Amino acid sequence: MDESELISRVRAGEPAAERALYDAHVDRVYRLAFRLAGDDELARDFTQETFIRAFERIGTFRGESRLSTWLHAITTTVSLNGLRKVKRFRTRETALEAADGVAGGVRSAEPDLKTRLRDAIDALPDKYRTVVVMHDMEGYTHEEIADALDMEVGTSKAQLSRARAKLRESLADFAGEWVS
Amino acid sequence: MNDDRFEQQITEAVRDYHRPPEAPREEMWAAIETERRRRRTAPRIVVLRPVWRWGIGMAAVLVLGIAIGRRLQPAADRTQASSAAASTRPGDGLAYQLAAAQVLTRAEIVLTSFRADARSGGHPDSQFLDQARDLLGSTRLLLDSPAGRDARLKPLLEDLEVILAQIAVLSASRDTADVEIINQGIDQRSVLTRLQTANPAGLAPGHAQGAI
Repeated sequence: MDESELISRVRAGEPAAERALYDAHVDRVYRLAFRLAGDDELARDFTQETFIRAFERIGTFRGESRLSTWLHAITTTVSLNGLRKVKRFRTRETALEAADGVAGGVRSAEPDLKTRLRDAIDALPDKYRTVVVMHDMEGYTHEEIADALDMEVGTSKAQLSRARAKLRESLADFAGEWVS
Repeated sequence: MNDDRFEQQITEAVRDYHRPPEAPREEMWAAIETERRRRRTAPRIVVLRPVWRWGIGMAAVLVLGIAIGRRLQPAADRTQASSAAASTRPGDGLAYQLAAAQVLTRAEIVLTSFRADARSGGHPDSQFLDQARDLLGSTRLLLDSPAGRDARLKPLLEDLEVILAQIAVLSASRDTADVEIINQGIDQRSVLTRLQTANPAGLAPGHAQGAI
């Protein structure tokens, strides 16, 4: 079954076609959601919401891009919006804990490179982090990223370059070890 | 540091960032089916975003103002409505002044925030664009109300309408050039300065001065 036929059948409400669409795309959608969320439970929620929205809105898919691009656009929107809500909630929780005098865990004094890199990526603005995740981790091309995030290809390249510059800045003290 | 070496190290190291496990396909599919069934059978509850609550509140004030205005205006005056630049009856202009003041204050906040975002290289988010669209609707309502016939306020509202309409369609393009053009429009028409100096209380000279 080709993609256009699959879409037609999903639009007609065929359960088997919905499942086929899900099977064809769920792995990549989940991977992207997990890379953005860093948490299995959140990634499951975002993946589920992505497919629920996709099935609800398949009638609005005009076929100007590939179905996978459209799905990944929904995934990034759902994930980033969901993460903002989680962040707001966690910020409030942290503030309450601080007010109650409940201290968090002890942080390592000298985090290793991976930890530092993870923290540096976490600290990137959403738009940069999303491009790094999609390009460097999940292997999307700049064209695919531009389509999914509704931006120009040049913007995707520029954001990746700025993100790397920020990472380089954050990890400057590791530079000596890397080049040795 | 060698750039190529850095890029290579970064590329290798980031692969471990949030490395995903295998997707729990069946569990997620079951959850999707359950949730879709629940949504189909659950009653729809419309939860208004704060910006929409503001918009509906302001629209209600405008509608109320129009209703009060029409009620207070004698039938003979209604036939000459086109020649009346502003109402001279107490209570008639108050609702419009209130609505105009709210719209102008919010517009000043929205445009100031838009310029600040543009300066920092950011792009307005969807919530901001919703706010601009909502404000555009309120501005159009105001233009259709007696406030829109005020010779001093009308040009400002018309310029504001153009700027807000440009901002409202930004989401589709996300083009920094568009943002720059809008900023130029704000500067050329001195929209922010005029918003800051506008005094909606002047809508009804001699009445309710300082009411806002």
